[in-house]
This record gives sequence, C-alpha cells and structure tokens, in this order.
Amino acid sequence: MHLSLLIWLPAAAALFGALLPGRAARAGAVSGSLVTLGLSIAVLVQFKTGGGLQFITDETWISELGIHYKLGVDGLNLFFILLATLLFAATMVWAALQTWERESTFFLWLGIAESAVIGALTAQDLALFVAFFDLMLIPFYFLTGQWGIGPNRVAGVTKLVIYTLVGSLLMLAAAVATAVLAANGDHLNFTFSFLADHRLANGSQNWIFLFFAAAFLVKMPLFPLHGWMPDGYRAMPMPVLAVFSGVLSKVAAYGFLRIALPLFPHGSVHYQELMLLIALASILYGSAMAFTTTNARLILGYSSVAQMGFIVLGIFALRAQGAQGAVLQSVNHGLVVAPAFFIVALLAARAGGSEDVRDMGGLAFRAPVLASLFLIVALATLAMPGSSNFVGEFLILLGVFNSKIVIAIVAFTGVALASVYTLRLFIRAMHNRVAPGDESREMTLADGVILVPLVAVILFLAVYPQFVLKRTSRETTSAAQAAAAVVR
Amino acid sequence: MTTTGWLIVGFPLAGCILIGLLFNRLSGRAAGIIGTLAIAASFLCSILTFISLQDRAAGHKQVVTSLWDYAVTAGIDAKLSILIDPLSIFMALVVSGVSMLIHLYSVAYMASDRGYVRFFSYLNFFVFSMLLLVMASNFLILIVGWAFVGAASYLLISFWYRRTTATTAGIKAFVINVVGDVGLVLGTFFIFKQSGTLDFLGTFAQAGKISGADLTAGCILLLVGAFAKSAQVPLHTWLPDAMEGPTPVSALIHAATMVTAGVYLIARMWPLFEQAPEAADVGMIVGLATLLIAATTALAQTDLKRVIAYSTMSQIGYMIMGVSAGAYAAGLFHLMTHAFFKALLFMAAGSVIAAMAGEQNLDKMGGFRRAMPFTFGCFVIGGLALAGIPPFSGFWSKDEIISLVAERGGWHWILFAGAYVGSFLTAVYTWRMIFRAFWGDPVPEAVELEGGHLHHAEVHRNPASGEEEDTGVGFPGPDHHIAEREFPMRAAMAALAVLATVGGFLQIPFGAVNAIDNFLEPTFAGSKYYSSLSPSDGFTLLGLVIGASLGLAGIAVAYRVWVQRPGTAARVRERLPFLYRLFLNKWYFDETIDVLVVRPWAAFGRFGQATFERVFVDGVLVDGTTGLVRAGSAAVRAIQSGFLRVYAAFVLLGLAGLALYFLIQAS
Repeated sequence: MHLSLLIWLPAAAALFGALLPGRAARAGAVSGSLVTLGLSIAVLVQFKTGGGLQFITDETWISELGIHYKLGVDGLNLFFILLATLLFAATMVWAALQTWERESTFFLWLGIAESAVIGALTAQDLALFVAFFDLMLIPFYFLTGQWGIGPNRVAGVTKLVIYTLVGSLLMLAAAVATAVLAANGDHLNFTFSFLADHRLANGSQNWIFLFFAAAFLVKMPLFPLHGWMPDGYRAMPMPVLAVFSGVLSKVAAYGFLRIALPLFPHGSVHYQELMLLIALASILYGSAMAFTTTNARLILGYSSVAQMGFIVLGIFALRAQGAQGAVLQSVNHGLVVAPAFFIVALLAARAGGSEDVRDMGGLAFRAPVLASLFLIVALATLAMPGSSNFVGEFLILLGVFNSKIVIAIVAFTGVALASVYTLRLFIRAMHNRVAPGDESREMTLADGVILVPLVAVILFLAVYPQFVLKRTSRETTSAAQAAAAVVR
Repeated sequence: MTTTGWLIVGFPLAGCILIGLLFNRLSGRAAGIIGTLAIAASFLCSILTFISLQDRAAGHKQVVTSLWDYAVTAGIDAKLSILIDPLSIFMALVVSGVSMLIHLYSVAYMASDRGYVRFFSYLNFFVFSMLLLVMASNFLILIVGWAFVGAASYLLISFWYRRTTATTAGIKAFVINVVGDVGLVLGTFFIFKQSGTLDFLGTFAQAGKISGADLTAGCILLLVGAFAKSAQVPLHTWLPDAMEGPTPVSALIHAATMVTAGVYLIARMWPLFEQAPEAADVGMIVGLATLLIAATTALAQTDLKRVIAYSTMSQIGYMIMGVSAGAYAAGLFHLMTHAFFKALLFMAAGSVIAAMAGEQNLDKMGGFRRAMPFTFGCFVIGGLALAGIPPFSGFWSKDEIISLVAERGGWHWILFAGAYVGSFLTAVYTWRMIFRAFWGDPVPEAVELEGGHLHHAEVHRNPASGEEEDTGVGFPGPDHHIAEREFPMRAAMAALAVLATVGGFLQIPFGAVNAIDNFLEPTFAGSKYYSSLSPSDGFTLLGLVIGASLGLAGIAVAYRVWVQRPGTAARVRERLPFLYRLFLNKWYFDETIDVLVVRPWAAFGRFGQATFERVFVDGVLVDGTTGLVRAGSAAVRAIQSGFLRVYAAFVLLGLAGLALYFLIQAS
C-alpha cells in the first residue's frame, strides 16, 4: 500500500467535501477519516512483525537540499499511526454530530490536521518530519481561534503558538545543522537512515539534542514548559481538544524515540538525568495540580502532564523496557484521554454547560451506562493493574528502576497520586447527591457510537497488551540500544 | 484439571459480565440467583480440581497452565497463567465456598435495594478477582488480581454512593490499597532484578541464590502490599471506614476473603521470606502490634460493625504473625476458620442492623435475645469461636499459631505473651458486643419485633453521619430483611454456624488429625520451618489450657462489666481517661496520616496553583513580558489570520536562511 494515500486522503476528502455545496463537508471529512482508519488497519494486517521498515516510499523532493519524500512504517510508528487514525475518526464523528459555523472550513482544517499528523508519524526524512510537525500547528490555531470557547480564546491560542513556535524554530535550526554537519561538506541528506549512519560529534550532539528536546517538551507539554496548556486547553473546542491531547502530544514522544535517541545517542545520555528530573517534576507537579483544580478539563490536562512525564521517564531510562513501555503507554494514554474528554463534554452538557466539578454530581443512578464506561476509562487512566496502561507503566518504571533506582522510587508516588485525582473526578461527577442544576440523564445512542468502540479497544488491550508489545519490541529495543551503547 | 482450574475463575467473571450486560432486563431476584449459581459452579470446579490434584503423584502437585502471552517483551516473561497447587486450591475452596454462602445470604438481604443487579455484578467481579489473585502463577497476574480486588472493594464500599461518608471511605480505601500495590510492584522489581523471571516457581527455584539486600528490600516491600490489603498498622485506617459498604460486603470482602490476601501472599512467598529473615521479623512484629492495637480499639467502639472490623484486623494480625514466623499451615488454618466465624458474625450483625432499621450504634441496642433467637444463636456460636472457646473452630487454629510461634524461641516469647494478651482482649470485646446487643432490657425495636412487626424508620438517616438519606434515587431501600424471616439468609447462616463449630476438627493437635498440614505439604516442601516447628505434647496442652482459660476469663469479665454491674464501664472510663480517649480515637492513626501525608500534598497543590500557575505561567512569562501574547493577540485582531502568515513566513525564511548559511559554509 502507498503511504501517501494514508497521509493525504483525510485532507483531500475534506477539501472535496468543502468544495461541494451543503452539508457535504462533514460527510467528506468523516468518510475520509473512516477510510483512513480502514487503510491504517490494512497496514496493521499486512505489517510483518520484526520486518524492519516497510511500506517504503522514497522520492527525492528537493535534490539541492537533499530532502527526500521518504515514508515508511515500522514497529516504532505503527501503533502511533493507528492511534492517530482511530482518534481522528472518533473526533470527526463526534464533530459531525454537532453544528458548527462555517462548517466546511472547520472540517477542512480537521482533515488537514489529520494529514499533517500522519505525515509527521510516517516521515522517514528529518526535513519532512519538521515540515509536517510544524504544519500540525496551523489547523489547530484556526480551529481554536475561530471555533474556540470563551472571549480569551485568541489569547489562549496565541500563547500556544508562541510557545510552539519557539520550539519549532529551534527544531528547524537543529535539523538543518544536523544534516549539514552529518554531510560534512558532501551532499546533504536528511533521511533518518543516512543520519543514523553518520552521527555527529559528541559536542554537536549535545546542543542539537537540547533543541529537539525543547520542541518536543513544549508540545507534550512537560513542566515547566506547560505554560500554554491551561489557557490553550480551556480555549479549544472539545472534539478538537480530544484529538490534540490524545495525538499531538504523542507525536512529540514519538519524536524522542525516532530522532533524539537514535540520532543523538550521546546527547541523550549526556542529558539523561536532566530529562528524567523534568519528567519526575512533571509527574509530581501535574498530579498535585490535577487534584487541586476544579475544572474537569484541566484535571485531564494536568493529568496528561503527569502521564506524559511517565512516558518521558520511560524513554530516558534508556533501556529496552523503558522504551517499550513508553510506546505502549503513548497508545494507552491517547486511548483513554480522548474518551475522557468526550465524557467531560457529556458531563458539562448535563451540568448546564459548566465544566466545574463542583457543579456536577450524582449522575450514576440515571446514567448507569455512562457511569460504567466512565469507570472503565477512569480505572485505565489511573493505570490500574489489569489495564494495558498498567503494563506500560510497569515497563517504564522497571526500565527506570534498572537505570536510576531513586528516580523510579520517587516516581511511584505519581502512581498513587493518579488514583487520587482520577477517582476524585469520577466521584465528583457520578457519585454523591445530584448537584442542583445538574440534569441527570443517560447518554444517547449516538454518544455510544463514539464511546463504545474506544472503550472496546481499551478492554481489548487490557486483556492482550502483547498485541502491541510483540509488534513493537524490535524497534523499541534498538532505539534504546543506540543510547545504551554509548553508556558502555 | 487445567480446564476446571480455569473454570474456577471463569464462572464468576462470566456471571459478572452476564449480569452487567442484562442490567435492565433482570427483574426480581434473578440477578441474585444468577450470581449465586455462578459462584456455586466455581466452588464445584474447585472441588473437582481438588479431587484431581489429590489423585496426582506426590512430586507432581504444582501445575502451571497458561492461556496466552500477556506481556512477554524486553526481558519480562508474564503469561496469562494460573498455578494449581495445594495452596491455591485451598484458597480457592475457602474463597468460593464462603462467597457462595454470602451470595446466598445477599439474595434475600439486598432484595429491596435499588442497586440489586449492580450489587451482584460487583460481587461476582470481586470473587473473580480474588480467585485470580490466589491462582496467579506470576507476579504480574498476582498484581492484577491484587488490584482488581481493591477496585471491587472500592466499588462495594461506595455502593451506596449517595452517602458522602461512603464515597469518602471508598476513595480512602482505594488510595491506601494503591499504596499497597506500589509496594507490591516495587518489591517485585527488587526480586525480578535478581531472579530475571516473573514466574513464581522460577523465582522460588533461585531463592537460595538471591539472598542479600535486594531480597530483604523486596520482601519488606511485598509486606507493604500485604499490610495495605490486610489492614495492618499503619495502613489499616481504611478498613473500619469500609464498613460503609452493605453488610454482606463487610462479611465477604472485609472479613472473610480479601483482607486475608496478605496472609496468602506471605505464605505463597515463603521461599523468599525464609531467605530474608529480617523481613519476616518485620511481619511478625507488625502482626503483633496490629492485633493488640486493634483489640484495644475494639473495646471502646460503639458501632457494631466497626467493632467486628477491628476484630478482623486483630485476627489477621495473628495470621500475619503466624505465617511470618513460619507457621504456614496454622496461619492458613486460622484464615479458614476465621472466614467461617467472622462471616457468620457479620451476617448476624446484618440481621440485627436490619431489625434496627439501619441503626448500628450499640448504645441504642439491647435485649434482642428473645426477639431474634436464630440470630442470637449464630452470634453466640461466632462469638465463642472468636473468643477461642473449645471446641469451636477458632480455639484450635489460634492456639496452633501461638504455640508454633513460641517454638521459634528467643524473642519470639514476646510474641507468645502478646498474643495471649490479645486473646483475652478478644474475648472481652466480642462478648461486650454480644451482651450489649442481646442482654438487658429490650429496646423498642426489639419489643416491636417480639410483637411480630419489624421496625421501620420514619426518617431514614445515614447511620454514620446522621444525615438524612436521599430517598429519591439510589437509596438502600425501605425494606429490611432479617434472618428469622428469610430462608436464604437462614440457610447461609446455618451452614456457616456448623462450619464455625466443627471447622476446627480438620486439624487437632497431638497428631490426632492433620488434614490441613498434610494437604498443604507439597507447596511447602523444602521449608525449614514447615515440619520442624512441632511443639511437644505437654507444651501444646499447656497452650490449649491457657487459651481456653483466657477466653473464658474474658467472657466472665465482660459479663460482670456489662451485665451484672452495668455502671462499671463508665467508672473505668473515668479512672483511665487517657487510655479511653486513645482507644476511642483509634490510637490517632487517621489524624497522624492526615498531618503527615494528606495535608502536605494538598498544601503543595494549593501552593502551585497560587504561585507558579498564577504568577509565573499566567503572569510573568506571558502577560508580564508586556505582552508578548498581548502584542500577538493585537496583531491577530488587526490582521485576522495575518499572524499565521507571519508564522509561515518565519518558518520558510528560517529554513531558507539557515540552509543558505550552511550551504555557503559547506561549499
């Protein structure tokens, strides 16, 4: 299968729909994302475990600069792609159930966003990755600025853009520097495979690593670079936020595994402790914020800071277990955070539009199905053993335990704190007395169409996490080994 | 045998899913019947597995069977597999058997509850989790079962979720249990670091080789898990609050099965603990501390269910002490007899509470002897077994633990003495409860019941807080059910009463009957304590006499204080105000944990919200840069999407400029 189809179909379908009159835009975008989901499943079916890079497309794009239009799938990005197509499909369906002003433009931006994300995930060329990575931001800028919530939405999204822009420019400079230094006076070549064979001198690796790390950490975001998150999250329309939090932060985690570790192993080792401490601070700080804020959306936002902290912790354990756990956990976190935002939207709709947990309460009796699904999502979010999230966390912490034992032990605090903020949200919404003004009713069948498949995937991975692990173990091991080799 | 082994865990899971999916189709008592049948099927499978295990040759009594790879990657080797051996089947028999009876009891007890269907779905889920826990064959699956029972416990504690007291108790239980899970996972890491396998049998095979600091650290962390689950100090504070759950839940989860998981864990991990004697010492000392702290606290409590809850803690203290000392079979024997008599006591207490229309305060009870003869009889049998009066079951099992611990010699004599002090206190608080509820002048509720009418409250109030109940939705239900009038309740209680009476005969000292010892032997083959701890007949006899006398003395004291001279208790309170307040306030554990753990974290959170999030994130960095953002916003407002064009231009210019620069440099 040609991966270009996978990348460009969502944007093309949305554009085609936007050009047609009437409500064709949403039909085009939704069917485009559903077909893309089907295509990514086809990739999964045809994927050969342990077969290295597959479905390769390699065209010279700008020969003077050595930039290739090179795409491919291997164990590292396979499940990131599936996560992206699944969550975008769910978001498209969700968005299609609501009414939007100027909806053809809205869906066009969503389609472009999906294309950009899949592009960044499949790119096997550094310049192409950077281009797609920056392209991801543009649709979200418009989606938030024009369809966002509240009078401060423009300020909120501008904050997001400034933070991300700084990161992007650093990354751009670093990417160019990498290729030039690697070419060493010869022809430029931006492909990952070339750069991995022509690693930079140790000193260069260190500063270039920091540039990439800054871009990725802002995108996730991790403490203390999360300044854009509260305002940005508050401003985004809920379906957009679900996919933003579920997928875009994972692209950054993927970037660490695809670029930082294999291309700059020395830099990764050099700054290992810094990265681990940032991750640890994010876990503790994000958790503490999550159980003191009353805005349901921000509870999820801060919990994501903590969860992304775990993922970075796994990556910078620089062990096979940690990297393996980070990949699994990225998939898991995306799978739980998107339905969680969907549920918060349902809760807010019942609480008269308020997203404050103090205005919620007692829905479980009249909405048992919603309560049960929320319970499953909540328990998976707090990584209860028996969920795939636990297996991810187990691997991450085991990796850190084997490399920096003290950090692992402190990080375990975050495991206990996660149960506090997640259950607090669940109980505040579902249990206790019905809050005044809270309208207690069950979710609709249409809500179920979005929520049930996502929960089904969560449950499937809970009983069979090996499904992901066996397909990803070869590449995650080699990603971590590049850095581990430096240590030796 | 492997098929029936999997069916033991399969039936309760199937029951849970079936009831859950049909939640709005099941009417009347259908959910209860399905739930009970699922557990009965599981119990039957346990018996079948037990029989086929008995048929196997001596050296082949540990069988591992797996369904699929669960997490086999990057050096870890966790399959979805169970271990069938005497210990796991022993636990499966106790768990599924007692669960079956408690399900039967609940069919009637919960009949008017608006959450009837949900209750049985949760309860079946609990049994599934507990069976998974005891049958797991590697650390990862053990942890899964371990956390699942915690989740089931949470769900059932906050079952009546309209009550703020119940939801608070639920989150408290869950979080403390997660602390235990963390201990278990971290302990697993320490052990895995040395053994390189998560599989139990593989790890145990190397137990001799992995001695050292890591093993001790690992075992102590495993104990943290055991203490949290089994409500040992200082991780016990959730258990008394867990009494917010419906009474069958207290009987099943918070008395008979889940809270004994820690005992099972230590027994299962015996090859590791025998190599890490320091960790085993910690287990013994904490067990003794818990059994004394809980027994003294129970003396001053007035909530009927909480008295029994503290009693549970105390009895588990005995078991933890026993298995940590190497008295594995004795500890597990007590686990079994305790499951019988404690479940019986809770069921009888449930009947009394129903007769009081939900009231649980002992101060308001009295004289129920004639009104509820059957419940009274069950309470007496349970009380005698708990107090260790021969020939009831608790007598045999508790004394076996104490005499085997003394056999270890040296400082273990302190444990011996402490355990007998606890034994005396047990008899006192147990019979204080019985005398106060059943003797004395009948309270109006008892009189009403003697007249043939069951008391109903005019205004329903939360027994813990006095708050008026939300009767609109999710209310426990206006009707009450007492054992005297409901056949399923009577049948379940009668079965347990018989077991609490004769259950002790499975193991009688002086070599008379050794059924439990002999059955469990293959699991503990190679233990340095299992068969070597055998006290002399004279010492055993002495222990039995002391135990029985202390039990009788305790009952006599209770009779004198609460029946013969009712003012005595008040006088003692005045004489010893400090001790009374200490016991009444549960040794101030809640307050200490609040100050040491809860408040610092809450303060940290508030501090972050007030400082970093407000000043740094919102103020200095963004607004304060006089307005990097404000300027940006203005630009956006001015030229609409112009900002994006600037951005795109930036990106392109930057790319081009840098490329140019490097190209010039390179050429």
